[in-house]
Amino acid sequence: MTNLNFIYSELTLAFSIMLLLIIGVFKKKSSSLIYNLSILTLLIIFILSLSLFGKNSTSLFINSYKIDYLSTFMKGLLYLSGIFVMLSSTRYLILFQIFKIEYPILLLSSILGMSIMISSNDLIVFYMGLELQSLALYVLASFKRENPLSAESGLKYFVLSALSSGLLLYGCSLIYGYAGSTNFDIISSNINSVNYGLTLGIVFILVGLAFKISAVPFHMWAPDVYQGSPTSVTIFFAILPKIAALTVFIRFLYIPFINLIDQWQVIIIFLSIASMIFGAVAAIGQKNLKRLMAYSSISHMGFALAGLAVGTNEGIQSSITYMSLYVIMNLSFFSSLFMLKINQKYYETIDDLSGLSKNHPMLSLAMLVSLFSLAGIPPLAGFFAKFYIFMAVIEQEMYFLAIVGLLSTVVAAFYYLRIIKTIYFDEEKQKYDKDHNLGLKLSLILSTLIIATYFIYPSGLISIISKIIII
Amino acid sequence: MIIQSIFFYIFSFIAIVSAIMVTVSRNTVHSVFFLILDFVSISCLFIMGGAEFLGMIMLIVYVGAVAVLFLFVVMMLNVAQQENAWFQSKKSKEKTSSHIPIGFLISVIIFFELIIVVGGWKFKPELSTDLNLSLSIGETNTHSIGSVLYTDYIHLFQISGMILLVSMIGAIVLTYQKREGLKRQSYFKQISRERDTSIEIVDVEKNKGVKIDA
Repeated sequence: MTNLNFIYSELTLAFSIMLLLIIGVFKKKSSSLIYNLSILTLLIIFILSLSLFGKNSTSLFINSYKIDYLSTFMKGLLYLSGIFVMLSSTRYLILFQIFKIEYPILLLSSILGMSIMISSNDLIVFYMGLELQSLALYVLASFKRENPLSAESGLKYFVLSALSSGLLLYGCSLIYGYAGSTNFDIISSNINSVNYGLTLGIVFILVGLAFKISAVPFHMWAPDVYQGSPTSVTIFFAILPKIAALTVFIRFLYIPFINLIDQWQVIIIFLSIASMIFGAVAAIGQKNLKRLMAYSSISHMGFALAGLAVGTNEGIQSSITYMSLYVIMNLSFFSSLFMLKINQKYYETIDDLSGLSKNHPMLSLAMLVSLFSLAGIPPLAGFFAKFYIFMAVIEQEMYFLAIVGLLSTVVAAFYYLRIIKTIYFDEEKQKYDKDHNLGLKLSLILSTLIIATYFIYPSGLISIISKIIII
Repeated sequence: MIIQSIFFYIFSFIAIVSAIMVTVSRNTVHSVFFLILDFVSISCLFIMGGAEFLGMIMLIVYVGAVAVLFLFVVMMLNVAQQENAWFQSKKSKEKTSSHIPIGFLISVIIFFELIIVVGGWKFKPELSTDLNLSLSIGETNTHSIGSVLYTDYIHLFQISGMILLVSMIGAIVLTYQKREGLKRQSYFKQISRERDTSIEIVDVEKNKGVKIDA
């Protein structure tokens, strides 16, 4: 075990999960302590994962666990967004009465599963990580179990996710049968010709993965789960699992099956187009902001997949850039959603935003920035994210994909702009509380600032991401 | 070899018959019993095939835990007397379920799938030679599984441990309720009781009885 220093962040995470559990059992009323310690843990492992930047890629455990530039970047993004998700939702958890010791522990174990997924270079390791993260997510979705909506969302997510896991496992078994190994590198060297068994296996695994990132036509769970779960879990759902699943998408498509690109490219293009159109159209009629964000995330996943469909390094990089900026935009939007509360109650429909600008100019400005950015209006970060995707797509002369993407952006702009219109031009309704905790303010201000000022120095992120070379 | 094949056929026969009986028996509890019988005979087949570890694990996990759990659930739900019928009869007004024809159809399909799998194996002998398994005869199953599980696949072993931990936490979070007014046992309080806090000496007057203020 000479290379153990490459997985210090995962080891620290696993040990601190167990340690925090023990502290929680033996110390009475320690929810707050454990919550803060979990944030500290995430901070520590974020720094640990930063220390891996620039090192050569290594693989551990007989080549089944890979630490390379991609995994280090994605893990850094994962841990950082985990920190901000936890910082922003403290007050919500207390007021919603789900501030229990198990909550941060489940979050941490889910993050552990995701980092295993990100580094996996083997079908079994990938599946184990997937199960670890989704098992924790089932519980988190139904964490407010007295609330029927939350219980429903947990159950729905559990049943559908179990089904997709079954399909995914079937795909894994087909690939193992036809390629003779579960290791991505060995599969890649064993594939000599197009084989329909393998193609079927790829299809099944793509179905499972598409379910995890809620791409159309496997999106049915997303709106209900987003709406039903507590908002603190919804923000988690909207951000972290997508980072992990996108990384697995990249690794799975581009390491073992790069030679079969003709086989899977059509599938990815279909998933991408369907998600972009459906996400844009279905969100128009929504009244609940969380539900609307579910459809918006479906549409955004469509764009991220469009980058993957291209089949070049530029495509992958544009997709990763899109994902990073998507994380920041969602963080900003959900942070402002956390601010809509009066006394004990949180508000989450579009009508509640009516006339927000009169009483809360700063909050409205932040929402304006994040919504404009989600709609992809220059010069905000969301525009650049979409710009990179379109550039990569057009370079490969996939004009149809680009045209559909542009059209769906126009449709999607309608419902984002409608929210802005409600905020700025409708009659004012109610005053919301202004006593927010520091973490929430910090995450809102930081994420909004990044979105608004991204255009000043866009090459910073690009230069980091352009080092990710897969093919 | 003859004895071995006789045993093989006996076990297979029992396994098949009990699998059929699981679906056709009218009493749900009987179905679970047949399920247990099925598991047992399959684990016997495993052991005969030289996979004694798998057979024993099958016995412990499926018979010892899963099937007994099924039995408890079935008995608690009190669905033992639910009538199973092959087809929904329109004449009788009794409660009948029509799961059987569908189940039968699916099992026929699975049966044909199995034929395809076995046939494919038979007509493709290079499949079995492609397997580069390094099994040494002197080692037991348990030994050879352990020697890879705790070395090459130690990370998977540990991750499964984490998964089990998470599932345990989840089960507790979702079911545990702190109710008010519930009398709980406190070992510490019970043990730290002393004589002078629990025993009182009362002088009893004759013919008057005792009145203790509670």
